[in-house]
Amino acid sequence: MQLRRFRTTTALAATAALLLTACGGVGDDGGDDQTFIFGVPNLPRSLDPIFANDGETFRVTRQVFDTLLDHESGGNEMVGGLAETWDVSDDGLTWTFNLRDGVEFHDGETLDAAAVCANFDRWMNLPEPFHNTTVAYYYNNLFGSFTDGESSTGNDFLVGCSADGLTVTIQLKETSANFPGAFSMATTAILSPGSLEQIDDGAFTGIDDGLPDYTQDVTGILAGTGPFQLDSWNHAQDELTLTRFDDYWGDPAGVSRIVFKAYDDETALKQALEASEIHGYDLVAPAHVAELEAAGFQVPTRGVFNILYLAFQQETDEQLADLEVRQALAAAVDRQNIVDSLLPEGGVVATQFMPDTVAGHSDNVTTYSYDPDAARPVLEGRTMEFCWPTNVSRPYMPSPRDIFESIKADLEAVGVTVQEKPMEWANYIPAAASGECPLYILGWTGDFNEGYNFLGTWFANHTDEFGMNRDDIFAVMQRAAREGDPDARAALLAEASEMIMDELPGLPISSSPPSIVFSAEVNPPNVSPLTQEKFDEVSFR
Amino acid sequence: MNLPGTATKAAKIDRLAELSVSSSDVRGRSLWLEAFSRLRRSPMAIVGAVIVSAFVIVAVAAPLLAPHDPTAQLWRGDVFPNRSIFVGPRAENPLGLDHAGRDLLSRMLVGARQSLMVGVVATLIGLSVGALIGGVSGAAAGMGRRLGRAVDSVLMRFVDMLLSIPALLIAISVAALLGPSLTTLMIAVGAAQVPIFARLLRGSMLAQSRSDFVTASIALGVRRPKVVVSHVLPNSLGPVLVQGTLTLATAIIEAAALSYLGLGSPDISRPEWGGMLADAQRFLGSAPHMALFPAVAIIITALGFTLLGEAMREALDPKLKK
Repeated sequence: MQLRRFRTTTALAATAALLLTACGGVGDDGGDDQTFIFGVPNLPRSLDPIFANDGETFRVTRQVFDTLLDHESGGNEMVGGLAETWDVSDDGLTWTFNLRDGVEFHDGETLDAAAVCANFDRWMNLPEPFHNTTVAYYYNNLFGSFTDGESSTGNDFLVGCSADGLTVTIQLKETSANFPGAFSMATTAILSPGSLEQIDDGAFTGIDDGLPDYTQDVTGILAGTGPFQLDSWNHAQDELTLTRFDDYWGDPAGVSRIVFKAYDDETALKQALEASEIHGYDLVAPAHVAELEAAGFQVPTRGVFNILYLAFQQETDEQLADLEVRQALAAAVDRQNIVDSLLPEGGVVATQFMPDTVAGHSDNVTTYSYDPDAARPVLEGRTMEFCWPTNVSRPYMPSPRDIFESIKADLEAVGVTVQEKPMEWANYIPAAASGECPLYILGWTGDFNEGYNFLGTWFANHTDEFGMNRDDIFAVMQRAAREGDPDARAALLAEASEMIMDELPGLPISSSPPSIVFSAEVNPPNVSPLTQEKFDEVSFR
Repeated sequence: MNLPGTATKAAKIDRLAELSVSSSDVRGRSLWLEAFSRLRRSPMAIVGAVIVSAFVIVAVAAPLLAPHDPTAQLWRGDVFPNRSIFVGPRAENPLGLDHAGRDLLSRMLVGARQSLMVGVVATLIGLSVGALIGGVSGAAAGMGRRLGRAVDSVLMRFVDMLLSIPALLIAISVAALLGPSLTTLMIAVGAAQVPIFARLLRGSMLAQSRSDFVTASIALGVRRPKVVVSHVLPNSLGPVLVQGTLTLATAIIEAAALSYLGLGSPDISRPEWGGMLADAQRFLGSAPHMALFPAVAIIITALGFTLLGEAMREALDPKLKK
């Protein structure tokens, strides 16, 4: 018996050793030659960021491509990226960027103003299939200028780009609240002129025919200036590998390789982390944070830069057109409880549709406190439809199901009959956007430090998401959108925010920091409120 | 739920069907009285009956027994899933709280009602549809002639086909097809039981139609349809009832399994043992009590019905008669 037990133990140990070895870099300690493995829910939808609008894609492309402007590491202040300094004319229409000297692309080309302008020229000359937000979401929203045709958004901000040595001058038609933020968006990353020559945008026929092959595999076409370059994409294993670019203009990356490995869900990611298969993953379920911390994993706290809200679609449900009902709903929901028990530590109840760190946040908005007794007389006996997304976790909404259940219990407590409509995420977004859902929960993470990036997302004009018809609010928003001066814009946004909170098109619930976790053996990067971590800061202890 | 292969499964069902034959020639006391007196002496039956009746009482009287509203988040200020703070058993909540601050005992009690309802309705669906197919098939076979045999053959090949698919898989397919709802859950679980009942009744009717008193009736000139309806069918029901009891156990487990997979009632705050188990899984590391109680309840209830069913089978089995 003893002998057999000994054998079993040995066999187990041997198996464990084999498994560890098979896990690639995790077990090894080869000094500088180390692989950082990061677990993700899905790999990039496109390696060319022009086609992308989702965080998981940008998480990867940000490591490979640089933008003219960037955010400070771990914060949301705008700093120089490829441009060392930048300036804007008094009328806000002429932006001048002084590029860093001696920046090299992964394919050996050198960065100069002409290379930057080649990118702007490419975007402006994109053919018709690109002229809508389903293909190039951010370019259409932020610039929207095409030499041949118009954007579906009606935007048209760019006049052109002119190059002089290392000085790039971007001429705009109109000012917009999206500048300079737009120059920091991962989608406007600067590709090597050599890459642009090989990309044939004319061959793209539409999203229904799929994205071009070069966006779906590492083909050697795409070269940027980032700390890592594309190495390989193993589709069978769901692994995308980046390797360190030794001629990077900044400090060289702390690890020689990053592997992004996709897993089915958060539970699978957690198990992979605990089994040392990966060194970290993002959007940890709040219920797992304490458990992982107790087990010795690092869960650094991010800054708060998002909004979760409960929308009231006034046109879909006539009851919601009544301000008194919307106010009663706001009083019926115990938001503090959601923040205290369901959201990651550091979350706060939101008073308006933007976090308090953003310029434009107003301290004078009407606030609504939890008061079920006041809500009951108005809401008792009513029936309302309430949509919520199943099987999904978002940075602003870690467990939609629990949040939904909490709100539902609040509404039932004041006599509302809730008809629940659970939906898959893929169906949920279109349903919410088209006004199918009277009540639904959704949110937004800021792209850059600009209040318009929050309010403008929902309230710049009439949308089917909210069904709000307030031309006076839209007018203030339009003025804010065209205001070049940041302070004047902040004042306009604050005014709009106050009007919006009186109108109450929805109830802002919370701003909360999504949790990201790393194993004990790595020095984690500075965590970013914008969820834009720079993985070149990662190193092994 | 072990699947030893269709052939053995079908054979097992046919063996159960044979019970009806020999037990009917007991003299003096009726088949049912005889079986009942044997049941009363079986400890297995007593334990099973106690569990089952306790379950039924709890399920029926759940709203009266439950100390709190099972869907109200009465103590949500005490529970913080984001910090892994949960509440286990304590004086005011004997089984503790769930992740949303709801009383687990109340949820368990009301959940029993849901399980019983799904179990009974699903079994009735399986029994009636299965009995219809089996009855037609058995009657057709009993009538003889080429047409009868053809009908029997077609129906039984269809049932054999269904038998070769794992029951849970049938249930999942039905639930996925109709979309999650309580009705779907009942239909799905019931549909999975149809082939077993069909095969059973048909086998039992075939066995009956070869028995002496049927031969005698036919010799006396009673018309075949009348023989089938008034002699063969009533005497074939014993095994079906035994199977019905056993099926209740399976149905409760399958209903829980479907709810666990998210194919149950779409109202997520309504307690259901399988759904509670699925909820608990997310917090298994910090709140094991949330998983423990529904799991134990499912096991005990299924055990109760199985014990009772097995005891009934033995009581009806003349070979085990002392």
